[in-house]
Amino acid sequence: MSAYKGSHILSIYATIDELIDGIRELKKKKKMKFTVISPVPHHAIEHELHPKPSPVRVFTLLGGLFGFSLGWALTYYATESYPLIVGGKPLLSIPPYGIIAYILTILFGALATVVGFFLNARLPEFVIKDAYDERLSSDHFAIQYYGDENELNEVESLLKKSGTVQIHKKRVEAPSQKYFVD
Amino acid sequence: MPSSYNLSYTKTDADLVNTLKPPSKGYWIAITVLFIGIMVGAYGWGTQILYGMGMSGKNNPVGWALYITTFVFWVGIAHSGTLISAILFLFRVRWRAPVYRSAEAVTVFALCVAGLFPLIHLGRPWVFYWMLPIPQMGEMFPNFKSPLVWDLFAVFTYLTVSSTFFILGMMPDVAILRDKFKGVKKKIYGFLALGWRGTDQQWRHYTAAYVFLAALATPLVISVHSIVSWDFAMSVVPGWHDTIFAPYFVAGAIHSGLAMVLILLIPMRKWFNLQAYLTDHHLASLAKMMIFTAFVVGFAYAVEFFIAWYGGDMYKQGVFLWRAFGPYWWGFWGLFLFNFMLPMLFWRHKYRTSIFWLLFVSVGVSIGMWLERFVIIVTSLSHEYNPFAWGAHKLTMTEIYIIIGSFSLFFFLFMVFAKVLPVVSNWEVKEALEPPRKG
Repeated sequence: MSAYKGSHILSIYATIDELIDGIRELKKKKKMKFTVISPVPHHAIEHELHPKPSPVRVFTLLGGLFGFSLGWALTYYATESYPLIVGGKPLLSIPPYGIIAYILTILFGALATVVGFFLNARLPEFVIKDAYDERLSSDHFAIQYYGDENELNEVESLLKKSGTVQIHKKRVEAPSQKYFVD
Repeated sequence: MPSSYNLSYTKTDADLVNTLKPPSKGYWIAITVLFIGIMVGAYGWGTQILYGMGMSGKNNPVGWALYITTFVFWVGIAHSGTLISAILFLFRVRWRAPVYRSAEAVTVFALCVAGLFPLIHLGRPWVFYWMLPIPQMGEMFPNFKSPLVWDLFAVFTYLTVSSTFFILGMMPDVAILRDKFKGVKKKIYGFLALGWRGTDQQWRHYTAAYVFLAALATPLVISVHSIVSWDFAMSVVPGWHDTIFAPYFVAGAIHSGLAMVLILLIPMRKWFNLQAYLTDHHLASLAKMMIFTAFVVGFAYAVEFFIAWYGGDMYKQGVFLWRAFGPYWWGFWGLFLFNFMLPMLFWRHKYRTSIFWLLFVSVGVSIGMWLERFVIIVTSLSHEYNPFAWGAHKLTMTEIYIIIGSFSLFFFLFMVFAKVLPVVSNWEVKEALEPPRKG
């Protein structure tokens, strides 16, 4: 799933150079409602799209902070509620509790990272609703453009100039709209 | 990636699918033998539960014996996976890409096997939940000042984080399999791929999550085995109460883990024809890392002895002399030979590029690292302060059955993994290749 939904066309390319040409054509005409599909991330694509830093890092930070706090809270609660009195020693002991806090920081940081990834990438999506081509995970690239009938026709003729090998169309009832801003 | 193999995006996919072809007769024989091994282990554990802990060789004073030895061994084996997948990723080491998936599988499966040993050691495994931080009828709660509780938290966290890293890392490759297969396989891989399409948004969040998971897993490489070592070092047993234990255990863990990765990679690259991905250069790189870890463990052995002498504690001196010249002398000299002397062969290019010697040394190091844990645990407990309380561990068949079962389970899990999931990270191998270009 991408940052857009609704009717779209999927323009498939056999080479990364043609894909980049396609992206540049769209950018030149200020047609920006598109997503790029590739088998691997590539710096040439990133260079064209200028992606913002992923918000996943915020999830990692919040998860880590939650785990850290939970570690201290859990050990404090355990000591206060189930005191194990050993002669001459303080009931609360910072160094061993720090170990639990450290471990839980990592545990919850990692779990929150995964949750952050799935939420932001809009996964899981057990049935792929958008147009898709099986070559795209292997050795082909694609531009998926979202818009209404007129805009899609315009973009289709534009992309045909950039060396596309095939164009899939997917029409849906709902109007095209951006629903995920980042 | 060596250019002589002419790898391309299409070729890597074809090779990936090739690894998942229906298995040969040899594979089924190996799986059957390993399954029998697992049943032998289950029989051993079953008889121990039925007849009691007397079936194991544990006694007073040797209350921690082969189960804890094997637990520490398997946790150690797990470490190289995270080292290769996370630390080498953060350092952008290029040769890591084809190796790390198998190394991560080693981590996950070794931890699964390791996790069984505290339960086996408990004697009453059905009350294992007493270790968990949940209020109980008995008004008990885990003592957070105990290293055993730190250990539970550390190993559980390590298993969770490494499994997450392992599964998430496979997503784009599973999507390739979804797109390559038809019928039931397509449905299964389609479910596991979770709808991955490789959009720029997905890659953006995926690569960010991957970096953060690697960064979170990296301190675990150091901390988990440090915490395992504190199970020993926090006690006052002579031979255990050492500040060097944490780095000593971590280096040993990585040493044995690298050996296990080599033991699995070498036959795997032959069976699956993966010579284009797992080249002699990759194997030699792992061998070079083993030279380094051999020096660290060798240094730790020397420092332990030096401190025993320099510290002037007669109990500690007694234990160390007993280790070297007592009835367990074979364990001590064996570990020194296997862990330190044998990997020195890798200084020569001839040995680190020879499949026979790579396997020979790796098997030797695995034996040596198991011996190291045995010597640390058993010799220290059997020769503590009071001569009237000295005693030896008595090996039983139950222990042997359970250890056979643990090795069988580990190799069984790895072989099943190698036939159903991608053993080489295809998308990361592709990243290092030139993408399809015009003209």
